[in-house]
Amino acid sequence: MLTQQESQAIIAKVLKSAKADETEVSISSGTTTHLRFARNTPSTSGRTTDTVVTVQCTLGTRTGSARTNQLDEESLRSMVRTAEELARLAPEDAEFMPALGPQQYPTSNAWVDETAEAGSPFLASGAEECIRSARDRGLVAAGFLRIDAESESLGNSAGLFAYHRSTIASMSETVRTPDGGGSGWVSRAANSVRDIDFKEVASIAVTKALESRNPRKIEPGKYTTILEPSCVADMVRSLLFAMDARNADEGRSYFSRKGGGTKLGEKIFPENISLASDPSDRRVPGSPWGEDGIAQKRVEWIDQGIVKNLRTSRYWAKKQGRAPVAFPPNTLMTGGKGSLQDLIRSTKKGLLVTSFWYIRSVDPQTLMLTGLTRDGVFWIEDGVIAFPVMNFRWNESPAAVLQNVESMSQSQRVPPRESATPTMMIPALKVRDFNFSSLSEAV
Amino acid sequence: MRRREFLKTSAASGTFLLLPSLPLPAPFAPREEPDVSRLAEIALSTAASLKASYADIRIADYRNQSVSTRERRVTGISNSETSGFGVRVIVNGTWGFAASNIRTAEEVQRVTRQAAAIALANSRLQKEPVQLAPVKTMIGSWATPDVKDPFLVPVVDKTAFLLHLNEQALNVKGVSFCTSFMAFVREHKYFASSDGSFIEQTLYRCNPSFTVTSVDRERGSFQSRNSYSEPQGMGYEYVDQYPWEDDIRQAAADVVEKHSARTVQPGPRDLILHPSNLWLTIHESVGHPTELDRAIGMEANYAGTSFLTPDKRGSFKFGSDIVNLVADKTQAKALATCGYDDEGVPSKEWHLIKGGVFVDYQTTREQAHILGHKESYGCSYAQSWADVPFQRMPNISLEPGKKPLTLSQLVADTEDAILIKGRGSYSIDHQRYNFQFGGQTYYEVKKGRITGMLKDVAYQARTPDFWNSCDAICSSEEYMLGGSFNDGKGEPGQSNAVSHGCSPARFRNINILNTGKS
Repeated sequence: MLTQQESQAIIAKVLKSAKADETEVSISSGTTTHLRFARNTPSTSGRTTDTVVTVQCTLGTRTGSARTNQLDEESLRSMVRTAEELARLAPEDAEFMPALGPQQYPTSNAWVDETAEAGSPFLASGAEECIRSARDRGLVAAGFLRIDAESESLGNSAGLFAYHRSTIASMSETVRTPDGGGSGWVSRAANSVRDIDFKEVASIAVTKALESRNPRKIEPGKYTTILEPSCVADMVRSLLFAMDARNADEGRSYFSRKGGGTKLGEKIFPENISLASDPSDRRVPGSPWGEDGIAQKRVEWIDQGIVKNLRTSRYWAKKQGRAPVAFPPNTLMTGGKGSLQDLIRSTKKGLLVTSFWYIRSVDPQTLMLTGLTRDGVFWIEDGVIAFPVMNFRWNESPAAVLQNVESMSQSQRVPPRESATPTMMIPALKVRDFNFSSLSEAV
Repeated sequence: MRRREFLKTSAASGTFLLLPSLPLPAPFAPREEPDVSRLAEIALSTAASLKASYADIRIADYRNQSVSTRERRVTGISNSETSGFGVRVIVNGTWGFAASNIRTAEEVQRVTRQAAAIALANSRLQKEPVQLAPVKTMIGSWATPDVKDPFLVPVVDKTAFLLHLNEQALNVKGVSFCTSFMAFVREHKYFASSDGSFIEQTLYRCNPSFTVTSVDRERGSFQSRNSYSEPQGMGYEYVDQYPWEDDIRQAAADVVEKHSARTVQPGPRDLILHPSNLWLTIHESVGHPTELDRAIGMEANYAGTSFLTPDKRGSFKFGSDIVNLVADKTQAKALATCGYDDEGVPSKEWHLIKGGVFVDYQTTREQAHILGHKESYGCSYAQSWADVPFQRMPNISLEPGKKPLTLSQLVADTEDAILIKGRGSYSIDHQRYNFQFGGQTYYEVKKGRITGMLKDVAYQARTPDFWNSCDAICSSEEYMLGGSFNDGKGEPGQSNAVSHGCSPARFRNINILNTGKS
């Protein structure tokens, strides 16, 4: 992984060899170590080291981009020549924005030495704990453990320079009964390896596998449903992706208003719904910069139910006379006071869902998504889990989910199952009328 | 072993063209090529000295180019190159892998040692040693045949073409936006193994497409239609051949018509699926459940398992008698076609579903023995030098009907159905039972005629029920190849490009949802 000095040296070298009017260089460099296991035994594992340099050259308003992972002088020069040639061949760009000068970046403490130094032996011991706890109960474990240690840097010919390094340790595990009749899943992500307690997470997957055996069939329909944080994280991610100012202004978004204008400033959710991002949040530190090197800062996306910000590119911000807003570096959803258990205790009749799977957009106009439940769905009666039920397909919009929130637990750091986004603080939600559209016999 | 000593070998199927060894013209600035065979020898000898029972190395470079536009503006032109090597070893019966972007002798030695150390660290957890099916020693080369190298086509031609395409759509009243895009890949790799194989391959892929959008602010409605073009295992010749003008003219008309199309009545209905839609249903409901790694639980934590468990092989009635699905890594112009897989196994063709019965799986060398097979079907693939090869989907296609039947004749033979074209929303459960698919355009068929456009349509079914309801498949003149440029699987996630061919087919009594109301 490149240090700040090494990154600066490469950026300086690239900038020096460029003849373009403006040049921007970004570098990502790092090592990924991983271990997979399945059927209670390791399957594939590895360690990969790579450094990728990307250059963007601009002549007038014409821009070309090139990328290499070879750091010798000739490769870097060749990359610059390619980008300059592509810029020469590109047409003038009416939406061109000049490069940003030096910026003040927020602090983001995402690096932990111990994580960067932990290698295959650490992953093997984590896998061992997962496999042992499954095997001891006569169950079958499959899982994935991974450590990333990486640096990102950005520099341009207008004098901007930024460097950030981060470590992430992440794991997920599925434990199944040998007859395939029960299945449980758990996932964790942290900047420090110390924050992952393999014994604790392994026991969650084991318990879910055992408790999900012999699921009963319940007719599809609309039910009061408790969504565990992983499910909510997937829903909230879809909502945040749709929060784009230009699409809303152009009339092709859920956030467009019929007849013209957008939902910016409108109260579209109950007052207990607030979503923010903050690169300096100690629980889920994020990258200090967004597109073009724009400095990240705390952004309220939904504040007490009101749409406060939509993602806005520098060009669109200039055209609309607004401030640019970069894609969120993390997600902070304000939670409630209690625990998941409190949500269950407060439920007369309803469903509890562990995780979602294969979520896809069905209708961008309503944000309608489809997906399935996976690895643990339970019927709740009189405040306790009564019995496991079969999986469902659902057709539902994250907007409708947030509009139907009855109560929520405290937020916790949780990776959504559908995407590797390890920087989300999300609560469990109890929602009215979640729409389960058909049964799935998959376990 | 030197490059000039390579022999042109014939792969098992013999159905594809073998080209002379590279180099192909280099559109990027040429770089002195490192001595690949020397690096391979270092990896294999280092692995042997560390008591590896097996080792292989892939030394590879990849070129990607993408050009994107919206309306009258070019939004991106990007070239990227990535190069490096990955070493795989078996020590104490356990896999180890390591990879690096630094192509030097010292680094190859270091990385090989690292791969062996990882294998050793994990071997104390290994239940049973990895068992590889034998493979013949292969010395050879293969390249995608008859390619018009997309990296040699001037970028100005590409931007001019895409902007012209956008203009055609924007000239139609009611069209608000048009984006267009083309991406090209050149995958060039050497493979050497401790079995003595040494293989060089060069694969090309392309993915051009557009999206037309119409916004009606008064209705509060926006409608889009993607092109019916499909990614292909071809070069720029696909861009030259595809009927862009017809497709974009029709797409522009479609998005305007979609605003006022009738919303579908939910409930059971017959379906006629065009190849531009059916290929993805094949991919999800046939391709993934016939992956042996899924079926035995190797993907349980991510992609899932499969309802097609090994006990069903040879007896399970997957589809109706007319349903035959074939895996084929030799099919011309298909995305997963190659000379050899990433374990040096020559490409093949075999049936997965025959006469409606589930007969076989996709396999790699370490899986063949599970089925009692003597050799692998050659389904090992890694998305880059940096990734571990594992079982990935070959091209899987529905064989056309044997009796002559055109799409028009099928429509004429249908009383009440919905005809669906294009790739839309897609989702399927982790054992591949329950799926739901949308499309790009939907047409009502009544009494043998297309009577108008519908909207808000999705079809939902249980995989074996769906394929057993297939009662008509058009013949070969209607056959088309669709495909996925980026099929995801594995942890860390890897992308695989794969094609699926089919003719239009009819399915009876399928559950239709109204996605506007559900």
